[in-house]
Amino acid sequence: MTSALSIKDLRKTYRSGTVAVDGVSFSIAEGDFFGFLGPNGAGKSTTIHCITGIALPSAGTIEVFGVDAVKNYREARRLIGLSSQEFNVDVFANARDILEWVGGYFGMPHALRKRRVDMLIDRFGLGKHTTKTFRELSGGLKRRVMLARAMIHDPKLLILDEPTAGVDVELRLDLWRYLQELNAEGKTILLTSHYLEEVERLCRTIAIMHEGRIVRQGSKHEFLTDAGGLESAYLAATGKAEAGASAGIS
Amino acid sequence: MKTTSVNWIGLWTIVKRDTARFLRVPVQTLLSPWISALLFIFVFGHVVGSRIDLIAGNRYIDFVLPGILTMNVLTSAFTHASSQVYFQRFIRYIEELLTAPLSYAELLAGYLIVSTLRGLIVGAGILFIAVLFGAASITNAALFFWMVVLISVVFALIGIIVGLWAKGFEQLNILTTFIIMPLSFVGGMFNSIHMLPEWLQPFALANPFFYLMDGVRYAMIGYHEASLLTGQALLIGLAVVLFALVWYLFKIGWRLRE
Repeated sequence: MTSALSIKDLRKTYRSGTVAVDGVSFSIAEGDFFGFLGPNGAGKSTTIHCITGIALPSAGTIEVFGVDAVKNYREARRLIGLSSQEFNVDVFANARDILEWVGGYFGMPHALRKRRVDMLIDRFGLGKHTTKTFRELSGGLKRRVMLARAMIHDPKLLILDEPTAGVDVELRLDLWRYLQELNAEGKTILLTSHYLEEVERLCRTIAIMHEGRIVRQGSKHEFLTDAGGLESAYLAATGKAEAGASAGIS
Repeated sequence: MKTTSVNWIGLWTIVKRDTARFLRVPVQTLLSPWISALLFIFVFGHVVGSRIDLIAGNRYIDFVLPGILTMNVLTSAFTHASSQVYFQRFIRYIEELLTAPLSYAELLAGYLIVSTLRGLIVGAGILFIAVLFGAASITNAALFFWMVVLISVVFALIGIIVGLWAKGFEQLNILTTFIIMPLSFVGGMFNSIHMLPEWLQPFALANPFFYLMDGVRYAMIGYHEASLLTGQALLIGLAVVLFALVWYLFKIGWRLRE
């Protein structure tokens, strides 16, 4: 079976000389729910930026469902939906326009676009807020717009960079249910999060990144059984085991 | 979704969205250059011009109008492209474009079409204002249209480079203040090259802005002071070189995909 995402020896060195991603390799099977963990500055977002086209890789290959994400970027990007960690939207536009425009960028014909926009506005409970500009929305509503935007072109691979950061418990539970439904329908999902319980609940495969490298990866089962829990495994992999121990985490 | 060689819907969306953006703030994007042109036409063309003799058989207001129009068209195209690229980078919603299946050529075409459209609207408005002063003759409409389009494209390309380069709002205005305005003013906007001292004339001929205004002046009143062919070659050459440069900058992701 073709991998949904296959990354080999990915490197990203910034103009300043900082090596953000240092020889990262991993693959995600089609239909998997993949948790991508690591402390701030580990290189997770940079890796995601290289996959989605926001950053150009310095070396290595990225394939999305067998399509080279650099050489054949147009085809690869049609397969990916990205919900960024930051609110990278026109803050003076309303949710409907944001979705309409991005659907247009993806080449969706008007009728299909309208259907998808209506469906997503309904699904994410944005109906009462479509006339408000993005900056007038609450944090949770903003996060919903970001997710709806990632879904507009019905991508096969969904990349969610901390999608539940700053949202209330109710929305978080609602999003978890929705993501599980999407995954059950066959969507491959790559999720980054600082909430370990979120990753533990949703993901089947997990990789931990630290200082630009993948330091541990495996199935959730392996993390939960072999290493005595995800939190311990995470702290050990990121060199914070002592800090964890002093905080009473075994 | 079918993958076609050109993402026409994507390109159309860029044009529609970007056009809607500049039409949302008409005071800043359209009214401002029109008022500036109105003041120039009134003061230099009408008030001062009525006391100045004919220049090569042309009334002074007819002589200065092409320069005023050219300066406002190129400033509008430049400002549009530079501010659009800069703000998209600054607020980061340029990432919507970078993650979409759009080629570098489509992105570039989108910026150029809207910048040129804005240049054309500004130019049409100035012509209308000039009609009120009885000074809006066009002797060669095709050449006039071509010149406005070409000037808009060249300055939109320069604007894109500045929009990519700028790290702050202040840098966006550097080129306008230190290059565009001075070179426009000494590029034959208000005077014939023959009115300059002889030693200064080669410098005027080395100023690319002189050829822009000279070409537009020829299209409007049928009078020119330099070789039209040289002017066209210069402008087209500039457009080709700048297009290649911007396309290359997009390709390597300079200040975009870093």
